Amino acid sequence: MIFRIIKKTELEKLFNVLSDENRIIGPVEVGRDQDSQAIYGFRDVADFRQLALDYTTTSLPAKKYFLPYKEDMATFRIDGKDWQKTVDYNIDAPFVFFGMHACDINALNKLDKVLMGSVYPMPYYAAKRQNAFIIGIDCEPQTYCFCRSMGADTVLHGFDMFITDLGNRYFVEIQSDTAYNLLKKVRAEEPLESDHVEYMHVISEKKKKFTAQVDTTDLTKILDMEFQSDVWKQWGEKCLGCGTCANVCPTCYCYSIEENVRIDLKAANKNKILYSCNLIDFAEVAGGHNFRPERHSRLKYRYYHKHRGFVEAYEESLCVGCGRCGEACLADITVPEVISSVRGETS
Amino acid sequence: MSDTLAKPKTYLGVPVHRPKVAFFELSSCEGCQLQLLNNEATLLDFLSLMEVVRFREGMTGGTDDYEIAFVEGSVTRQDEVERLKKIRETAKVLVAFGSCACFGGVNQLKNRFSMDQVRKEVYGDHPIDTDVARPLESVVPVDLRIYGCPVKKEEVEKIVTRLALGSEVFYPRYPVCMECKANGNICLFELGEPCLGPITRAGCDSWCPSNRAGCWGCRGPADDMNITQMVSIMEKYGFSRETIVDRLECFGGFSAHIETFRDAVDIREKVQKT
Amino acid sequence: MGSKLAFSDVVNQKHHRRSDLGAFEHTYKAEITSIHRLTDLENLYRIKIIDAAERERFEFQPGQFLMLELPGIGEAPFSISSSPSRRGDVELCIRNAGSLTSFLSRVERGTHVGLRGPFGTSFPMEKMHGQNILLIAGGLGIAPLRAPIAHVQENRSRFNNVDIIYGTKDPAHLLFTYQYDMWRADDIRLSVIVDKADAAWTGRVGMITKILEEMFAERGDAFFQNTCAIICGPPVMFKFVCNMLNTKDVPMQKMFVSLERRMHCGMGKCCRCNVGSTYTCLSGPVFDYWTVMNLKEAI
Repeated sequence: MIFRIIKKTELEKLFNVLSDENRIIGPVEVGRDQDSQAIYGFRDVADFRQLALDYTTTSLPAKKYFLPYKEDMATFRIDGKDWQKTVDYNIDAPFVFFGMHACDINALNKLDKVLMGSVYPMPYYAAKRQNAFIIGIDCEPQTYCFCRSMGADTVLHGFDMFITDLGNRYFVEIQSDTAYNLLKKVRAEEPLESDHVEYMHVISEKKKKFTAQVDTTDLTKILDMEFQSDVWKQWGEKCLGCGTCANVCPTCYCYSIEENVRIDLKAANKNKILYSCNLIDFAEVAGGHNFRPERHSRLKYRYYHKHRGFVEAYEESLCVGCGRCGEACLADITVPEVISSVRGETS
Repeated sequence: MSDTLAKPKTYLGVPVHRPKVAFFELSSCEGCQLQLLNNEATLLDFLSLMEVVRFREGMTGGTDDYEIAFVEGSVTRQDEVERLKKIRETAKVLVAFGSCACFGGVNQLKNRFSMDQVRKEVYGDHPIDTDVARPLESVVPVDLRIYGCPVKKEEVEKIVTRLALGSEVFYPRYPVCMECKANGNICLFELGEPCLGPITRAGCDSWCPSNRAGCWGCRGPADDMNITQMVSIMEKYGFSRETIVDRLECFGGFSAHIETFRDAVDIREKVQKT
Repeated sequence: MGSKLAFSDVVNQKHHRRSDLGAFEHTYKAEITSIHRLTDLENLYRIKIIDAAERERFEFQPGQFLMLELPGIGEAPFSISSSPSRRGDVELCIRNAGSLTSFLSRVERGTHVGLRGPFGTSFPMEKMHGQNILLIAGGLGIAPLRAPIAHVQENRSRFNNVDIIYGTKDPAHLLFTYQYDMWRADDIRLSVIVDKADAAWTGRVGMITKILEEMFAERGDAFFQNTCAIICGPPVMFKFVCNMLNTKDVPMQKMFVSLERRMHCGMGKCCRCNVGSTYTCLSGPVFDYWTVMNLKEAI
């Protein structure tokens, strides 16, 4: 691993070097809630000063730049009984992600496993993922962050460089030669032992700030044991079935396909929309039979996929503990509370 | 023009039937029909899929030889009942076009009051035949609904294309939240604005929330929506029962679900009065 | 001073040793060469991949499925109903039950469709060699069963006793009636039973389990210990059948079922077919009953 130290002013220089010829996406303040608290989102950024590098959590994850909510998978030109299909992966230039938290990079790493690491890699995702230059940035744990329980509070790979704020300078971890070469364009120094000490101090202070947690001990077994538990029904009664948890989740990737014929009947398209297993027709088959007709069975399924099935397949859960789903859920359904209730730890 | 339009079309070799359609309006603003004319870019394609034989906003005259009737508006008068029955007799497919036709729409807000009161308030002493506003299906069976106030022209085009192809017409069964999140909006509850997005059928592409206006439920309930939870969430966010019921009652889509909440309001009003 | 990042073009890029990214949405263009009306709801489509080289490469195992697409109308999974040894085309038995299949029921011969696949697991026919075979279908379940039946016919000497038990709602819903004599001619015992007889029906009336009960009475326990079963049909049916077979100590790992779920990708991405947490498209559609027992919500 290669480390560097850069002054804070050098980060702006780095931004300018990149923004000259590349699209940059980063965290910005997109509004204020009714209590005047900042609401953050990822947006295209042209000016370094727009960036809110001290952001908490964006309401929506970085997912849409890799897995758009709506995406044309193919278009068809119709010609009598024949047709021509054109496939487009919908990306033609690399882009820079300037300031992604560890949880969100971990989320991409999880998506990589399903969407790039399997027998059938998904080009729509791979094309975007491979063309993203990612600069990670450290963060301040919020009350809803349980990333530490999910092993996602630090990130080992899946980015180009990662910066940690040491007050007047950044500690930089370099993971790609693109990043290495890029850093030659700004003033970057080898870290001193005192920088190492300060870095370790910063992360040990950060560790103390986590308040939310999820006990994942034996969770796959417990979920199987408690499959018929009434707690699912209680959460199901609260659930709006609106799909928001999946939409704000950085790791939810399931989708639906809609094909449409253009009104002049000369063309058609195949459109992919990110879906949610909480939606009523998710498990419905032709003829109308629904394998999960009740809200509670769908909500339960979402937890089983994330905390049992995925663990079975990849030895890790499909959750990074970013807490977005709990924050966005109007019905206040949060992962820590659901899991602790399934474990019988009534609060 | 009619020659090229009338040329039989096929899709993947399957003949596409070009039905004769007529548009009608009962008590309404005719804004839904206007949506169709608004889309000049695809208007000709639209007309090549359907032979419009009656459309007051777009043509003069017309015949009563049609297969599909798009009926906008709610039923509020006896003569409308008769007209609608007649349309039903002629049409093979009766389409409730827009929220008024589907649920009674904004018009049905008058049903909260006594009809005498309503008549006096609006028309004074002028004699007028007007009764409670009802959706089409309270008078005749409806084959297809196109939701929205107004309808979303993109959705209408999709539906019309599917009708022409003989394909099943389907709507999103999920609520507006799905589209709102996809559009990257800030949740309006965070901004202190009430919104029925979590329980209202999507398909509008979160038209109102994307413009920072809370959803009023014009497209009616999403499948398996959780209205009880919605009401308690709105109360938690500090909205009064009156505000909540006003919103739920606005378009009539939730009328089958709100009796219990409405009673709660009445009871509280009574308590306050005594 | 700027620094333009290099674009990585993934089109046709070899991502894995096993597959290239371009394969994901690759569709074989295929032509419907014949449409055989089986009942008022089901048609048998014979479909041929147009490109000769692609056609040559195409092979499948009994029990696997294809994604069939009509541009603009939709795409859905269908299990292959023809013999794997039949080269050049495939047969799909399709019920008119949704918007894709309803449009499909109206297309003519010569129409081009898209095919992706074959996907999924298959019935392990080789492992069944030397055993008694029970092939049990309820309703449209005969469609996925027709491929293993063809395999058995073509390799009849490799199997011991072979029984087909086939049940439907009523005689009008019986599929492939024209093949029954051919099956019997290949020394396959065929028992057909309907739920509800019509005036012309002279055959058996009742549930599939009735035939099984008779079989239990007629054949000794030893018979079932050397038996493999393939059961296709509605979940409630195969649950009953498998549990009955289990009372005769047919090992659960020797009973195979095919699960039906909605699918969009066939490749373990869209999650629509997940059962419990298993992808039907990757780990299925063919599962042994032991696995199904361990899947939440499978039946």
